[in-house]
Amino acid sequence: MSNLIIPQAIHDDMVIHARELDPYECCGLLAGTNGTVTHIYRIKNIVALEGAEKLSSFDPAKAEHLGRLSPAERAEIAFVMDMQDFSTAKKDIRNKGLVLQVVYHSHPHDPARPSITDIKIATDYEEIWPKINLPIPAYLIISLMEKSKPDIRGFWIKGGTVTLAHITTAT
Amino acid sequence: MIKVRIPTPLRPLTKGQGEVDTQAHTIVEMIDTLNASHPGIKDRLCDDTGELRRFVNIYVNEEDIRFLKGKETSLKDGDEVSIVPAIAGG
Repeated sequence: MSNLIIPQAIHDDMVIHARELDPYECCGLLAGTNGTVTHIYRIKNIVALEGAEKLSSFDPAKAEHLGRLSPAERAEIAFVMDMQDFSTAKKDIRNKGLVLQVVYHSHPHDPARPSITDIKIATDYEEIWPKINLPIPAYLIISLMEKSKPDIRGFWIKGGTVTLAHITTAT
Repeated sequence: MIKVRIPTPLRPLTKGQGEVDTQAHTIVEMIDTLNASHPGIKDRLCDDTGELRRFVNIYVNEEDIRFLKGKETSLKDGDEVSIVPAIAGG
């Protein structure tokens, strides 16, 4: 898999986004060209909206668990992207001639590695990306487990298998 | 005939089918027709006012209906519609 180059400013912006929403999960997209990220798109986490957990690809156990929690509690352990925001970002990415490269989200309480839910949904989504004219992105997770020392890691998730994505931060 | 791609979370409502053929002239008509044969599907896709829920996208031939005419987007024979659930994770 090819490497990803993320400018320091965008790297910092993702951390700011994660901290702004802490203890809730944030989510967003990164786009660019030739493996170099140039744009960040913050997307609203709408997991608290009624019924959101039912239409996302959460497995039945996770959906049931989320259904038992309050909206605020749900947003601490899950994200669902606002697809209206997503569509707007997708259009801008296309209009600017960019390529979607990364889907990012934060783990306010957990390490920077994909959860079982992350892997399942990314695997389900593999067949969707080509249908909406987008390449399979890398998945980037910002962990705020150590509040003063955010940990950011990227992954490729294909066929249920997770491999580390090599990310270079450019100044 | 319109071919509708059904995402995994909705397949329990379509007896596991990943694709369903239907006849409709608009998206709103397609949703009503689907709901008649697969009850409950409309409630998953639309809110109480009939608007598309924010955690779902519908694409007609790879074009997002939010940038066409929304639920009034017209359909013609041979169109392919994809129902896309929100990107999510834990």
